[in-house]
Amino acid sequence: MNRRRFLASTGLAGASLVAGCGSFQSQSTRSPPLVENRPDATYRPTHVEGMGMAGMAQAGDYMVGLGYSFPHRFWTVTGTDTERVDIRDADSIHLMATVWDPETEMVLPISAGVAITIERDGETVDEKSPWPMISQSMGFHYGDNYELDGDGLYTVRVRVNAVSDRRLGAFAGRFDDAAETSVEFDFAQSALDELSYEAFSETQGERGAVDLMEMSMRPVSQTPVADELPGTLLGTKKGSDGVYAATWLSEADFLADGESYLAVSVRTPYNRVPLPMMSLDGTVETGGETVFDDALGAALHPDLGYHYGAVVETAESDPSVGVDVVAPSQTSRHEGYETAFLATPSFSF
Amino acid sequence: MTDRGISRREFAKSAVAIGGTAALAACLDRGTPDVPEGTDDIASLPARQHAWNDALATDDAGNPRMARHHVLLLLDYERDGRPTDGDRRQVEDALSTLEQAYEWSNDGLLFTLGYGPTYFDRFEANPAGVDVPEPKALAPFEDPEPDTPDALLHLASDHESVVLAAEEALKGTRKTVNDHEMSTTFEGVLSVADRRTGFVGTGLPAEKQDVDGIPDSEPVPEEAPLFMGFKSGFKGNQATEDRVTVDAGPFAGGATQHLSFIRLHLQQWYEQDSREQRVSKMFCPAHADEGKVEGVGENLGTDSAIEECPEDAVESGRREGVVGHSQKLSRAREDDSPTILRRDFDSTDGGEAGLHFLSLQQSIEDFVATREAMNGTDVAENSAVGQRTNNGILQYMTVERRGNYLLPPRNLRALPPADPA
Ligand code: HEM
Repeated sequence: MNRRRFLASTGLAGASLVAGCGSFQSQSTRSPPLVENRPDATYRPTHVEGMGMAGMAQAGDYMVGLGYSFPHRFWTVTGTDTERVDIRDADSIHLMATVWDPETEMVLPISAGVAITIERDGETVDEKSPWPMISQSMGFHYGDNYELDGDGLYTVRVRVNAVSDRRLGAFAGRFDDAAETSVEFDFAQSALDELSYEAFSETQGERGAVDLMEMSMRPVSQTPVADELPGTLLGTKKGSDGVYAATWLSEADFLADGESYLAVSVRTPYNRVPLPMMSLDGTVETGGETVFDDALGAALHPDLGYHYGAVVETAESDPSVGVDVVAPSQTSRHEGYETAFLATPSFSF
Repeated sequence: MTDRGISRREFAKSAVAIGGTAALAACLDRGTPDVPEGTDDIASLPARQHAWNDALATDDAGNPRMARHHVLLLLDYERDGRPTDGDRRQVEDALSTLEQAYEWSNDGLLFTLGYGPTYFDRFEANPAGVDVPEPKALAPFEDPEPDTPDALLHLASDHESVVLAAEEALKGTRKTVNDHEMSTTFEGVLSVADRRTGFVGTGLPAEKQDVDGIPDSEPVPEEAPLFMGFKSGFKGNQATEDRVTVDAGPFAGGATQHLSFIRLHLQQWYEQDSREQRVSKMFCPAHADEGKVEGVGENLGTDSAIEECPEDAVESGRREGVVGHSQKLSRAREDDSPTILRRDFDSTDGGEAGLHFLSLQQSIEDFVATREAMNGTDVAENSAVGQRTNNGILQYMTVERRGNYLLPPRNLRALPPADPA
């Protein structure tokens, strides 16, 4: 039988009374009303919350960090549509799993994602695969709201699936296998309640973003500054608020003679958070001739980071490149990102 | 607002899930169904054990309707080495008593007895003309336990008391079935290594949704035949029994069987995804856009209108950012027809929402190819579709176990040799 149903929840986090003009209105301070007239772009959310660490552990080739915060509303994406996920009464925490390579400290978006099981006294309390997700303060992670049974010690089991995207350079042959690990998470409602909460009543809705949260325990997920990408930077363009940096590599350890590599690094403005899970098409012309016209596939490289790219059969060094967004990033969004990066712009470099 | 402290539902574990003589007695206390009797004339029964379709009821649209209650017994042969003629006779006699007692139908009893690679090891030979490989993981993101019993018995009926009584009778804890005396039982020959149960059909999933994997909001619709809320197994989306039948060699008339146990995690499915997203992921985004699926999908008639989904799942997935389960799976068709015959059913075994995915096919390779189409690894490559996110229903399921079996034709169902020729 399902014990979680028989254990009373530990009260509503953050429900409070806000005095209005002559009337009392009950609302949750953790989930204030959405900004009206949100721009179709990255914007400052209503608030930002602190994060507690539930723990971290190595799993095979990967490091896994588990952070938690108050339950969140967020948006899933299918195609160019978003679907808002509201907080349920049953939700106790928003759990965020970050997976990174301990050698390069690069946060890894993994197409098959992670699966999380929360157990207590040998019984499953909650279990689901969190969504690939982006947040202004947390960057790319896997997140969802989970139920707990109140204060106590939990075992959080995490399965990290194998990376299926192409891995280049020093990443070749790595992250081939799935791995599992678990973390002992001592949860206390009082610790959750003590996490910081900062409202942006003045600046909410303005175009901009809150800063990525730096934590000593886990790296932040950031793509390299465009100028520092390997190869020759072909340019940086903006579309649907996403930033597209295209670079051209004539030489790399993964290239044969007569080959070049086109890489497009797509990131959020302000924070350079990678935007994984997109469909991109690319064309390359050199000397008036089309030498490439195909999909750009997701790939991982220690210096390029997560990007979309393709090997192009040419030794020419000044290509004209076209990039078409066929489908936007299907990562779920925290507040402030849910109206951005949903269209399908085209660029030429 | 729901109060988590008070459950408005009572967890009523079904008699079939509990099993045993006490559950059977409790079940019969609620009323003894009038169950049609079977036949002494074994020749009047189909030569194929898996010939169920003609014996099943049909729904309003004319699709075969699966029996509602199921028991799977994973059996071990108690003798080392090759089976004796006496053991064979005992198994055959026990099974033919069931056929005499119950009509071969959903209103009576349907069953199959299959054999796994472990069973054939004793012959130091593979079954002649049919490949029954050891089960293995069929996706890079799964890690199933292999099932390795010697045999698998599948009992199915619309009546809970029938599957329970047949099971107890075979185990030797009950003397009669439908007023027929058991001439013999499986005792001393086949013992139960594991027992799994399930159900499929309108109303049952809603009634049994108080389990882990399904949120407390009772989201499973009353009309749903399966936990995920859609009708499945339309006539036009199934292989025919002919297609899945082994057509040559000593086991001609048999079939191969794959059984996996899949756990379902449906909180996101029901409480986060919209109806549109669910239809996109189960069928295809075009079906969602056009409102093709009403309710649980009865309106679809006898097929899922898959030809109205873009055929190139890779291209469609790249453009739409999501690809449907049926859309992906239809790529595994041969001559415009699926190669596997699905006879899957839901489960609450272990208090968890699950699905016993049982399918029949001429060759296990057909299943492997079908499952590969479902993995959608090619769709996820170079595309916004994730390997599980927006990739059909992969986000909501975990394959826990897999097993492969040979269903011999009826005349070879009792402890067959590897090469009956
Ligand atoms: C979680 C469990 C599953 C559910 C709820 C489910 C549900 C469905 C539904 C609703 C359809 C469309 C209706 C129909 O065609 O009958 C369908 C089609 C199909 N499914 Fe599944 N399915 C599940 C798992 C599987 C698995 C594990 C396989 C095999 C690898 C599979 C193979 C198929 C095939 C072959 C089709 C028909 C495709 C065609 O039309 O050619 N399903 N399924």
